[in-house]
Amino acid sequence: MPSPLSLVYYAFHPQELRSIIQWKVWHNPVHERDETKDTESLKRCFHFLGLTSRSFVAVILELHPDLLVPVTVFYLVLRALDTIEDDMTIPLEKKEPILRNFDSICEEDGWTFTENGPNEKDRQLCVEFNVVVEEFKKLEPPYKVIIKDIAKRMGNGMADFCRNASFNADGVETIKDYELYCHYVAGLVGEGCTRLFVEAGMANPALLKRPELMESMGQHLQQVNIIRDVREDFDDGRRFWPKEIWSKHVDKYEDLFKPENKQAALTCSSEMIVNALERADDCLYYLAGLKEQSAFNFCAIPQSMAIATLDVCFQNEKMFQQNVKITKGDACQLMIDSTQNLQMVCEIFKRYIRKIHQNNNPHDPNFLRISIACGKVEQFIESIFPSQKKPVDTKANPLSAEEEAKAKAEAEENKWDMIYMGIAIFGTLFLITSSMFFVAWLAGARFDIAFTQFREQMGQLLGTSNASSTTVEPGHSEL
Amino acid sequence: MALPKVLVTGGTGFLGSEIVRLLVQTKAYEVTAIDINPPALGTGTFSDVRYVRANILQKQELSKVFHEAKPSIVVHTVGVTPAGQARYSNKGREALFEINVTGTRNVIEVSKECGAKGLVYTSSITVLVDENDRDFVNADETWPTGRAKLLYGQSKTAAENLVLSSNSPEFPTCALRPAPIFGPNDPGAIPTLHGCIARGETPFILGDGSNLQDFVYVTNVADAHVLAVRNLLNSGTAAGQAFFVTNGEPVTLRDFCIAVWRQFDHTPPFQLRIPKSIAWWVGWAAEWATWAVRSETTLSRGAILDGTAVRYVSISKAKRILGYEPKVGLEEAVKITCEHYKQQIQSRAYDKEETLR
Repeated sequence: MPSPLSLVYYAFHPQELRSIIQWKVWHNPVHERDETKDTESLKRCFHFLGLTSRSFVAVILELHPDLLVPVTVFYLVLRALDTIEDDMTIPLEKKEPILRNFDSICEEDGWTFTENGPNEKDRQLCVEFNVVVEEFKKLEPPYKVIIKDIAKRMGNGMADFCRNASFNADGVETIKDYELYCHYVAGLVGEGCTRLFVEAGMANPALLKRPELMESMGQHLQQVNIIRDVREDFDDGRRFWPKEIWSKHVDKYEDLFKPENKQAALTCSSEMIVNALERADDCLYYLAGLKEQSAFNFCAIPQSMAIATLDVCFQNEKMFQQNVKITKGDACQLMIDSTQNLQMVCEIFKRYIRKIHQNNNPHDPNFLRISIACGKVEQFIESIFPSQKKPVDTKANPLSAEEEAKAKAEAEENKWDMIYMGIAIFGTLFLITSSMFFVAWLAGARFDIAFTQFREQMGQLLGTSNASSTTVEPGHSEL
Repeated sequence: MALPKVLVTGGTGFLGSEIVRLLVQTKAYEVTAIDINPPALGTGTFSDVRYVRANILQKQELSKVFHEAKPSIVVHTVGVTPAGQARYSNKGREALFEINVTGTRNVIEVSKECGAKGLVYTSSITVLVDENDRDFVNADETWPTGRAKLLYGQSKTAAENLVLSSNSPEFPTCALRPAPIFGPNDPGAIPTLHGCIARGETPFILGDGSNLQDFVYVTNVADAHVLAVRNLLNSGTAAGQAFFVTNGEPVTLRDFCIAVWRQFDHTPPFQLRIPKSIAWWVGWAAEWATWAVRSETTLSRGAILDGTAVRYVSISKAKRILGYEPKVGLEEAVKITCEHYKQQIQSRAYDKEETLR
């Protein structure tokens, strides 16, 4: 049941309400899933998928049947890895070997892990990890290779960060570390998904030759999450904003959240935002390489949400006090638009880029950098969907001159077509009307009376001289 | 083996001196710089560069210099750019065409005569965008030129056509079309923008302030020239081609201005948008006012069009064929340039003090 407050909100934002209804009523998955054939273990996997991933679950479930199970298994493997890494109650000696060997764990029948602390929200997934192993083993060999490779690299990367004492004590030090962290937790996911897509024939293999594009896909999402969740993470004792950035603006990380440092915190956040924003054009480039609609939706929806989230966070001091979010209506509109085609997604990016650009503060040290990042996205979109037609060069290109003449002749022809059509329509109307009048007249209609009455009424209405003609002239009365 | 010889016309100018510097840096060429002016004070000269004073309009003198230098490749950067209100005027056509077009013809002819194996010409983005009443959104080199409405763009188009039509297997030529260039010792952009601060013009935004435009840092343009020289001497894939050369970072003109002003510690105290349609009439009025009081203003209809147009191009062709990559980013370039200008202003102020004493 929606809260009364949200009812008031939607009363004033009918457009958003319309988007929600539209999405709920009209959105049909690209591929419908037949659940009856699912095995018990697969059903359990989908159950966990629903529990663990909020934002991703819908898009995963709509994936092409060939990709659905591999991506689900891939996602659950990474989720389990993440749950073990995140859990501060597990001692390092215990944690490290598990993280580093997760690729073989994927194939270990009946492997489960029960030592997660009771507060880990995805604890149950590890407890019943044997169902994931079961499904993993049923996958086609190429998919297994990809998932294992990513799990190995991610596990090792996470273990490195866990071993790093300064990371645990003070959070991320340099921008390089920050990007490396995002690479392990998200860039690798981008790589894994891309390889799965290419393997299934749903993405252009050229994407694998431009690794920076899939890296940017992951980096963009992860960085936006880190920016948006700054407050929540801080309250949970986690710091992902790199010291190299925040130390330029405040002395201590916790100072970011003090009201007196409002301005410093904002300039700090805009530096974080521009880092993410500079990946936006790569993301659009990547999306252009996806050939299958469900894979496109899977990638495009989170990206659109991310760019909209950047806009919500940009120059918004509230992000340091609470969790800022895009509204539900906006989210639905974004999902509607992101499940169409690349051009629509480009429109979304353009819309939010312009909003960000408009809020760019001339006093901000990163003012020009933000402006350049916005310009880059605009230029990239123009390069794939030009808004301007190049003029015809009549001198250098006689052929196109001929074409132009042809186009002119065609336009002339079209004009006359319109005129003939108009004549035909009005002629028909006239014919029908007059035949109706004729039939009415035959049937004894008195048009003469109707006409005089009409004139009188009109005259009275307008109060003109016609009205006076009905009054009797005084001279005649004497006769 | 002797190094290939490169001759740079306008070699002591704003762009030319930078090209000479980069050519020397490669240590791969023997460089001759010719110019009507000797190297300006404060600009660097190089001991291993031959500086020769010559006027490109004096063909005989030019021919002599070229025959002495025997260049393999000629880099022709000489040109005049009408500044301020002269940009929009139809006066001074002869003088402008004399240097930009006749001068270029002379350089082509003597280059061929002295056996040069190629020519790189500094054209301009204005061959396209001086059709100043229309927008150019991510245009590329396939767009037709010859529609320029301003004299400068017309003169550069005529010269570029001369250069490209003289391209042949024995004498390959190419043309580079830089966006508005800025950098240290830049005579135009930065001083003009700096002047806006003192005149209190910074709060006013012409149009909606969302029009993207291209700029380019002088060293990046010089880089492109060096790449073009190398291309013509080697693969020759650039022969007969024109290339846009920009920083590849279009920003709104307004933001560029703000970024420059910030370097001089100025941020507009408030912002006032003047819609494009009104701005046009303001420009028109300013032109009449200027005519009436015979003074110089920043505003005119032409300036309004320059300020509100979308003008940016794609540099993928230069990247693909020349291997061009803008090495100095816009942010850094603005900083370097403004720092340099600040120092210039300071030393000028100091000089003034000195002379007063």
